Amino acid sequence: MSGVERCPLLRVRDLAVRVRGVDGPEIVHGVDLDVQVGERVALVGESGSGKSTVAKALVRLDPGVEVAGSVQFDDAELVGAPERTLRAVRGAGISMIFQDPMAALNPVRRIVDQVAEPLLIRGVGRREAARRAVEMLDRLGVPRAAERARSYPTEFSGGMRQRVVMAAALVGGPQLLVADEPTTALDVRVQEQVLDLVVQQSDELGLAVLFITHDLGIVAGLADRVAVMRHGRIVEDGPVDRVFLEPQHPYTRGLIGAVPRIDADPGRRLATVADSLVVAREAPPPAGTNRSPADRTQLDGGRS
Amino acid sequence: MTASPPRLVREPQAPPAKSRPHLPWVAPGTVGDGIARGARTLLGRHAGVLDVVGLVLVVLLLLAAVVGPWIAPHDPYRADPTSSLLPPGREHLLGTDDAGRDVLSRLLVGARSTLLAAVGVVVASTFVGAVVAAVAASAPRWLDEAIMRVVDIFLAFPSIVLALGIAAALGPSLTSVVVAMVVAMWPATARLVRAVMRQTTSSQYVEAARLTGMSQRRLMSRHVLPNSFDSVYVQLGLDISGAIVLIAGLAFLGVGAAPPSADWGSMVAQGREYVTTAWWVALFPGLAITLAAVGFALLGDTLRVRLDPTVVRA
Amino acid sequence: MTRFVLRRVGLAALSVWGVATLVFFMTKLIPGDPARVAAGRTATAEQVAQARARLGLDRPFAEQYLHYLGGLVHGDLGWSASTKQPVASDLALVVPVTLQLVVVTMVLTVAVAVPLGTLAAVRHGRSADTVTRLVAILGGGVPVFWLALMLQWLLAAKLGWVPISGSSGFGHAPPVVTGATLVDSVLAGSPTDLADSAWHLVLPAVALSAPFMAVVVRNVRSALLGVLGTDYVAFAVSKGVGPWRLVRHHALPAAAGSTLAILGMQFGWMLGAAVLVESVFAMPGLGTYLQQAVVNQDTFAVLGGVLVTGAVFVLAGLVVDLVQMLIDPRVRASHLGGAA
Repeated sequence: MSGVERCPLLRVRDLAVRVRGVDGPEIVHGVDLDVQVGERVALVGESGSGKSTVAKALVRLDPGVEVAGSVQFDDAELVGAPERTLRAVRGAGISMIFQDPMAALNPVRRIVDQVAEPLLIRGVGRREAARRAVEMLDRLGVPRAAERARSYPTEFSGGMRQRVVMAAALVGGPQLLVADEPTTALDVRVQEQVLDLVVQQSDELGLAVLFITHDLGIVAGLADRVAVMRHGRIVEDGPVDRVFLEPQHPYTRGLIGAVPRIDADPGRRLATVADSLVVAREAPPPAGTNRSPADRTQLDGGRS
Repeated sequence: MTASPPRLVREPQAPPAKSRPHLPWVAPGTVGDGIARGARTLLGRHAGVLDVVGLVLVVLLLLAAVVGPWIAPHDPYRADPTSSLLPPGREHLLGTDDAGRDVLSRLLVGARSTLLAAVGVVVASTFVGAVVAAVAASAPRWLDEAIMRVVDIFLAFPSIVLALGIAAALGPSLTSVVVAMVVAMWPATARLVRAVMRQTTSSQYVEAARLTGMSQRRLMSRHVLPNSFDSVYVQLGLDISGAIVLIAGLAFLGVGAAPPSADWGSMVAQGREYVTTAWWVALFPGLAITLAAVGFALLGDTLRVRLDPTVVRA
Repeated sequence: MTRFVLRRVGLAALSVWGVATLVFFMTKLIPGDPARVAAGRTATAEQVAQARARLGLDRPFAEQYLHYLGGLVHGDLGWSASTKQPVASDLALVVPVTLQLVVVTMVLTVAVAVPLGTLAAVRHGRSADTVTRLVAILGGGVPVFWLALMLQWLLAAKLGWVPISGSSGFGHAPPVVTGATLVDSVLAGSPTDLADSAWHLVLPAVALSAPFMAVVVRNVRSALLGVLGTDYVAFAVSKGVGPWRLVRHHALPAAAGSTLAILGMQFGWMLGAAVLVESVFAMPGLGTYLQQAVVNQDTFAVLGGVLVTGAVFVLAGLVVDLVQMLIDPRVRASHLGGAA
């Protein structure tokens, strides 16, 4: 890529994430990752590999973990920075979109209020914020945006909601969009539309994108670079073509081999990652590393 | 009301400390430590201070109910005008009432009737409620609907008002209070059990069991009923707690136990006239009611968490 | 939407009919002869027979029932044996007093419990949870009449901070228009009467709110905890929203629905508990009326009071449902979907 010699937009060095508590396990170890201005990077791994944890750790979204190492965004250090600094970065420097657009919108607030929020909290007037929110919805292809902005999320379909979520993420003019499995909850057709939209905005706005995904298939056409994560570490990082054509790490080879192929012999058993790992068996993962804190949900009878 | 469906809550806090083998204030190896260990065994590893407090309160109440009349220092009924309204002191630990009767003795003797009435009311109303729910569940749809609408109408009355009305209609006696309270309390159980049964019969695991060819009877006995009973007995502690307070309230209003008997609620009512001069007459019976109710509520809460497998304490 | 409102109102009317029917059956349950009570202790057999005919008690059961319902429609709840007045006009005097107490208590409960519950949710941890649990259980276990009595003793008798009982001080009773002293003071245009009436309500409202406060705190807390764990809150944080805006604009509106439902149910329970509190503070409300009626075995007065309580409970549920539909687009959407 051309930007290697420039200072990257996002520079992550030796990032470690540990569950808060007396003997909370470390779930991400020594992650290095760069994202250049306008670059699209995919962070790939199976569920539990720590990729979402990394995404949330960038702007310290999960209060249940401790983050160590260094995250530099636009030359400012975020690890250990005061909450104020992080709030200023969230939504205006680094925005996020989440897995489930159904769950990411507050059901009791109007669309326009939710999209305009990043502007409102930064002192933009109500009217102006609403105008720019509608403009952004329109730009992202929400039909009759001005009118529909006044309605509530329940009245929107899944694909439309993901557009609304994206509008709220982009309205503050961020330089980096972190898309945490943005399409997993959508059906295939809508997935494609949403991804196209992300790429299109990235091109038009010069927006850098960090895709977090388990789906190698969607990465190929979208990203410039791929980083593969496993057990909380990055095992391979390189330009997308190189990683696909000459994967260095057996795990990457396994992941690529496990993508079902339509032209494969129908009688053959589908390949799994384990098939490739038989050759280069690794040490078993340390205990407690296979679950991210976000996955640690608790069944609660109303007491907790 | 308290048996809300389990909710997924993301737990941002650190995992709690491991089970603590000792209560902080009990020295290891003493009798107190033995009791604390016993309580833990009964209440589960995660029992906190409040769980133990609940158990202790209920045990004390049970003790008072069983041996109260024998350990009472004075005759709870003997009026003695010469020792009327004595403040708490060495002779009368909790003072005396207007008729000169020992408050502590009356409290000890009153424990039995309080406990019997509350447990009796809860057992009876739970039974009635569960039977009505089961009948509704197995009846044709229209009858089921009709029964549950009637239940709703009963629930439209605050229980104390309904009990008051019925007790008034039946005439003043402890029996009519018990009947009135059963009438006032069964609908809540009926609604709860019916809701759990409906939820269970439409759940995917029952559906799955049905698909494996399990018979209707086996389905009922293996899945639907156990679930419904769970929801009932995790409620029992809270229900008893509520019944104790309700009985006391009715007695306070003058419905229920006739004046000379040592009933906690009517003792408070007696004391209200002297509250500015002889606070102990009203204070201690009220405290007894509170502690008894709190004890059962805490114990019920503990058991709810311990017995209900869907409630997992982190 | 209109269809839903109409259906809900119809359902409420049906419930009130059910409540009335239940009360009617309660009148039939009573041992003894209501005609004898109505005619008086010294009445002759002839007078009792007259009373029976006047009350319609000699007619068939179904006819009595229809007669009773017909009477209800015209606001006829029978005659009180002790006040020698129609029960309906007695109730018109006492119900506003109770409603005023309950509404003031409700406002007090919400004003204190919502911030406390919010704090408990935001500061959520092991010790804060234990405190919340203890407060909730204590609140449920303390008999409200005893608490009222003890507060009266401590705050009024010993410390003299607030009036000991009654609804208004000497010379401060506003002319009775509605029966609710606050409203009457405003109608009379007298700020001193208003202050005095409010002053008299402090102790009863505090005592009455105690058991409900605990429940609301706990519910607000668990509703907020549920909301704070959702993705939309995480998304709001990722937009740069700070903690206070998060609670005020995102979490509280979403938790309002369940809290409102709890408050609706509590309205009825408060009516019940108000019986006890009024009795302690000698307030001339529905509770005192009911208690007097029970003591005097004034059957029609008791049943009239019970009926009104049930009806008010039903109406409170109706109001809550309609308000919920106004504020929560989820509820609105589900009803629109249901009606379409």
